Amino acid sequence: MIALRDVVQQFGGRVVLEIPGLQFLPGRRYGLIGENGSGKTTLIRMLAGTSRPTSGIIEGLQGKKVGYLPQSPYAFSFSVLENVAMALDGRNDAKELAQKALVAVGMESLVEARGERLSGGEAQRMALARVLVRSYDVLLLDEPTSSTDVRSMDLIETTLKEYVEKTQCTLIFSTHSPAQALRLADEVLYLEKGRLVEQGPAQGLFHSPEDERTKAFLRHWSLNS
Amino acid sequence: MKRFALVVLCVGLLLSAAACKQEPVNKVIQMSTTTSVNDSGLMAYLQPVFEKDSGYTLEITSAGTGAAIEKGRTGDADILLVHSKSQEETFIGEGFDETRIPFMYNFFVIVGPGDDPAGVAGKATAAEAFQAIADSGSQFISRGDESGTHSKEKAIWASINVDPTGQAWYESTGSGMGATLTVADEKQAYTISDKATFLAHENSLSLLLEETDDMKNTYSVIAISPKRFADTNAAGAQAFIDWLKTDTARKMIAEFGVAEYGEALFFNMD
Amino acid sequence: MIKQVLELLFGADPELRQIIGVTLRMSVTSTLISALIGIPWGVAMGANQFKGKAILSRITNTLMGLPPVVAGLIVFLVLSRSGPLGKLSLLYSVPAMVIAQVVLISPIIAGMTANIVSLRAPSINETCAGIGINGWKRLWLTIKECRIPFVTSVLAGFGRSIAEVGAVQMVGGNIQFKTRVMTTAIMMQTNMGRFELAVALGIVLLIISFIVNSLVHRIQEQTLRDRTA
Repeated sequence: MIALRDVVQQFGGRVVLEIPGLQFLPGRRYGLIGENGSGKTTLIRMLAGTSRPTSGIIEGLQGKKVGYLPQSPYAFSFSVLENVAMALDGRNDAKELAQKALVAVGMESLVEARGERLSGGEAQRMALARVLVRSYDVLLLDEPTSSTDVRSMDLIETTLKEYVEKTQCTLIFSTHSPAQALRLADEVLYLEKGRLVEQGPAQGLFHSPEDERTKAFLRHWSLNS
Repeated sequence: MKRFALVVLCVGLLLSAAACKQEPVNKVIQMSTTTSVNDSGLMAYLQPVFEKDSGYTLEITSAGTGAAIEKGRTGDADILLVHSKSQEETFIGEGFDETRIPFMYNFFVIVGPGDDPAGVAGKATAAEAFQAIADSGSQFISRGDESGTHSKEKAIWASINVDPTGQAWYESTGSGMGATLTVADEKQAYTISDKATFLAHENSLSLLLEETDDMKNTYSVIAISPKRFADTNAAGAQAFIDWLKTDTARKMIAEFGVAEYGEALFFNMD
Repeated sequence: MIKQVLELLFGADPELRQIIGVTLRMSVTSTLISALIGIPWGVAMGANQFKGKAILSRITNTLMGLPPVVAGLIVFLVLSRSGPLGKLSLLYSVPAMVIAQVVLISPIIAGMTANIVSLRAPSINETCAGIGINGWKRLWLTIKECRIPFVTSVLAGFGRSIAEVGAVQMVGGNIQFKTRVMTTAIMMQTNMGRFELAVALGIVLLIISFIVNSLVHRIQEQTLRDRTA
């Protein structure tokens, strides 16, 4: 179990995230929703270890294998296959496994393409394959399908579900689409201005949100979707 | 009120602009001289007195002898003050009825390391000194910039039939006297310099030979002729040339350097 | 004059070739040494967040703006007979000119390298952290990703070095056959009123500069095209 206690993240005097208490249970799937700047990325980066909270404690990550897909993943200037295989550096079957992962995200035709020439959506799918090619205890994904086109969305989400099933990992992902959270998560967390406003089972939160702010967000989203 | 003040200002500016146009531009004399002359400090010393006496303004530029003389050809000077007889004669031979007027002289000196490995001190002529330097392979730094000093140096080498170019002990800087002295000081080598620049320059070299016949250095002025450039300031150039002949000027030239170095750096021609 | 300039350029005047030779020897050496110093320096600054990064950045920027004559003056005073390294008798030699140029060019390469690296480093760092790649491996990957832009910064350093005149005159002395380079020769010839050789050298210098700048431009364009294909 991952636990956050009195966690505060400040940048230049401004509080961007404040979580008095939060727990992530093993094997469960959590979706973070909220506007830009609500703190989703900050929370994920703290869990990934690329950012340290200004104060507070995060427990339960020691010794765990944590995989993380950042919001802007980097596409290295070698082939797509090598970009994915680099996560399995040293293993004899690295290329084989990389190939399989790329098929799972629908990129088998681009296996030999140069990483730096990919479109935004292709680079993102490749980066996802790079993360999924290994088994992790905790998988952190920051807006993993923000550039994915409608055609590939089904495939990606199916692949993710299969991965989580197989590895029994704790999945924590953020998304701009509450509908996606609904499809993929067991529990949904709504963040606003750096605070956790409401948390609950996906169906429940959507159909009967308790907090006014959550209601406003979901209403706004459904009007615009 | 504001509008009125603005009008007055504009009218005032226009009037003064008109007034400016009427003043003769020929109050300015453009003089082209060499870096040695400039480095010696003589012009800075003579300039204020000449300007007060004559009412003219002197704008002095300095460059290597070649470039200094070239300014006469490009119209960038009204008067030349240089010290390279051969190059001067070429210039006045270009058919514009110009003359060179020698007005003062001094001597080059041979300077070098205090321990004088080539035994220059005590030689009777510069030629003998140069021979000693060549024979002993002692390091010699040349200006190599076709200046008056360099021309003199080349003439001395020619007189003993020695071509130092490319020899290991001979280095050519292509620079002015000051820079060349700095290099000679750094390498503790021999060089030939005009006395004024040497005395004014801070270094640890010793003066080893001076006032031999073959080291006389003559300074001349050449006024650019209106036949070369119609709007050259011929009157101004002549004013300076005339002023050089006055007792004031001659006295100043004779006294330059005495207080500071105990001896005159320049001598008037009779 | 044009005829004489052309004769000098194509007649392979030995002194012209010699001057170009000394220039290239000096510039290639100073550029290489500056790259060896500047690239690691720039990578260190661009790849990570660390305490004192801001100060190091400030220092680098200040050094980038160091006036060439000041660099020349400092090196001159250090190398002259009466200076701390006077015993080495380095003044008025090609090594002295190289030293002055390295002082000038390393910060420039460092600054450019830092910019190049810090453009890519955040994304590379996050990506690598996400798949468990850290430390030297991550650094090496970062350097490899930046290798082409590094080339442009080195070329820019080279362009700077052949164009340098002030510092190189001061510590080199423009000595014929030894430390006379294109820039100091142009100055000297102009001072002497001898414009043909100056113009010929100027043309050679322009051609070299033009080639270097074109290469830089081509590489940058190619990189841009690759990334947005």
